[in-house]
Amino acid sequence: MSPIRVVVTGLGTAVRGLDSPEELLGGRRSDGASADPVDRLTGRGLRYKDRATKLAMVAGREALAAAALIGADGAPTVPGESVGTVVSTNFGNVDTMCETVATIARDTYLATSPMLLPATSSNVVASWLAITHGLRGANLTLCNGRTSGLDAVNWGRLLIGSGRVERALVVGVEPDNPAVRHLAPEQDEFFDGAAALVLESAASAAARGVRPLAGLGPYARRAEHTRAVADVRAGEPRAVGLWCVPEHPEGIRAPGASLGAVPGSAVHDLSALLGPSSGALGVLQCVTGTAWLAGAAPDEADAVVLASAGIGDTGRDDAAAALILTPAGSA
Amino acid sequence: MSWIVTGTGAVASIGSTTDEIYGSLVAGRSGLAGLRGYDRSRFRAQVAYEIDDRPAPGVDEPLRATRWLEQAVAAAAREAGLGDDLSSVPVLVGTTLRELRSVELSWRDGTQVEVEDLHFGTMLRRRFGAADTHTVANACSASLYTLALATDLLDLGQADTVVVAGVDTIAESTYGLLDRCYPEAPDRVRPFDRDRRGMLQGEGAVAVVLRREADGPGPGATVHARVRGVAVNCDAHHPSAPEAKSIAAAVREAHRRAGVGSADIDLVMLHGTGTPLNDEAESAALGSVFAGVEPSPYMTAIKSMTGHTAGASGLHSLVAAIDVMRRGSVPPIVGLDDPVESVAGFQLVRGRAVRPDEELRLAQIDSFGFGGLNAVAIVERYAEHEAAGANGATAVREERQ
Repeated sequence: MSPIRVVVTGLGTAVRGLDSPEELLGGRRSDGASADPVDRLTGRGLRYKDRATKLAMVAGREALAAAALIGADGAPTVPGESVGTVVSTNFGNVDTMCETVATIARDTYLATSPMLLPATSSNVVASWLAITHGLRGANLTLCNGRTSGLDAVNWGRLLIGSGRVERALVVGVEPDNPAVRHLAPEQDEFFDGAAALVLESAASAAARGVRPLAGLGPYARRAEHTRAVADVRAGEPRAVGLWCVPEHPEGIRAPGASLGAVPGSAVHDLSALLGPSSGALGVLQCVTGTAWLAGAAPDEADAVVLASAGIGDTGRDDAAAALILTPAGSA
Repeated sequence: MSWIVTGTGAVASIGSTTDEIYGSLVAGRSGLAGLRGYDRSRFRAQVAYEIDDRPAPGVDEPLRATRWLEQAVAAAAREAGLGDDLSSVPVLVGTTLRELRSVELSWRDGTQVEVEDLHFGTMLRRRFGAADTHTVANACSASLYTLALATDLLDLGQADTVVVAGVDTIAESTYGLLDRCYPEAPDRVRPFDRDRRGMLQGEGAVAVVLRREADGPGPGATVHARVRGVAVNCDAHHPSAPEAKSIAAAVREAHRRAGVGSADIDLVMLHGTGTPLNDEAESAALGSVFAGVEPSPYMTAIKSMTGHTAGASGLHSLVAAIDVMRRGSVPPIVGLDDPVESVAGFQLVRGRAVRPDEELRLAQIDSFGFGGLNAVAIVERYAEHEAAGANGATAVREERQ
């Protein structure tokens, strides 16, 4: 584990029907068909950006602003080289690929637009986040299956721990479109949105006078879910107050006795709330967990948040990941 | 801290092993051929640097990238003495297009593809028992970016051994969009030549096994090279146009991390895509970094023979650099007949391979990608005489006479 303590200092969401990250803790809203979050974007240059990019830009901007890392003009308030970007998405740009290959089959390469070329590269979301806000530090895109979001959060921590950056914007995003639905025909629901958080060293947050909302605890990516959870719990044995569960409710439902759940603890299934969210899930979980620690947790509880994604045990996923979030004031 | 490469594996259009690839590079043998897997009537460009493993001409099949990745990782792990058990070894895969060619085939033709097989982690778990696997989709700098991440994991004590890999296949979407971009269809990749017409894609995979030098080579007991430092950045400038000053900053940071100066570099493996945007930005950056260094390091660009292997290209260049340093011959930039003015001061290898009298000890590998993602690595030759004191390590035998 990195000796540098890393904290969360900003949250953002772009989810239809949700107005704030804290609402991820609630139930499904009846007005889920309210305004599209990408309507919050204005200005030129949106025409050739795919939906995943636009969703990520909404959530990313909100998280950076919440952490006071950008000003009203969207430009960084700290040296751009000190801020890294990590994006998790498994399906972010498949729409561009599918639409383009169909165009070529129908009307040859002449019918394509060269403006779409950068969007064939799966890093397109992270690129536009960096360009939009001048984030010149290390820039990563994780396409890592169902664990991808938690993996991305940990890579953000590692970029800070290794000294490559002082802060990192981490975004999880998945779009809902015909190309994505084609790849998972057995699903009848799909997540369409983005979640974002800002990570930075505790020293950086203190120096900037920004209040930490949560701390990052242990992380593990293992062949089995049980092993991943056991390994992070070994490093952080405090009671679990909130468990954000993986995407397969039939495999993981209630916290086991070994989790030491506190009275009033909750099991939160974000996929049930929002639809299966693939590479966005882990970031959604961390945003939800941070919101819980920063506001909804009982005052007297010295409890942590457990997030876990992917179920290696069943053979449906290649692995499982687990990550613990701790109260901001604790080590 | 420094790190050692204890195993290598690669496949490309010019060879299915690292030895074959080096042999082709030194011989100036290109993998350029007529477009194999697509309906050629859909494109103006008609050639690419493909791996010739499809079932029949014009017939494409899914999951080819996964197959090559498996091949490269298996070779590297075998050389490093790890066998097929990577259950306790992180595997970091750099790629631009992942298995998106399989997505295209599924969408357009209805080809059966399981969604979990689109993630490289699925194969890595089944074949090698690997669970700590990460696919980093960082455009054409991806595999050197993952090399940087691997050094960080080792530095932070999060692993003792890491497999770093790169892989890419050609997607029809990108092939068509590139065709749309250029005034004339490229007929080959001609880095830094006045008659360059742009980039053509190549296919391939590559893997290396990396360990902390202080820990020695591990079960394989062989050392191929020493990694001295890897720098990464993002220019936050443009989705597809590289920025010279950001490239120069990455090169200088790589030198700083490696503890070397510009004059210490003996060999530069250029990114060299044969596009005006890349060539001008890269030559401007190197012109500033190597100003006053005369003669300049030897410089070559293997994409002139492999095509642009995208996310795999950085590590392909790195493995080639290792072979160049230990075997002594620098491959030529094939097709570089009339260099552009901006490279006038560079010691570019042209025409045929050169075999310098002096030992090539330090190589710089350039790798740049869409989104302004820059990665630069410094790799050092690991000489046989160093091996005796390093935990019983054996340097790979040189072929210099």
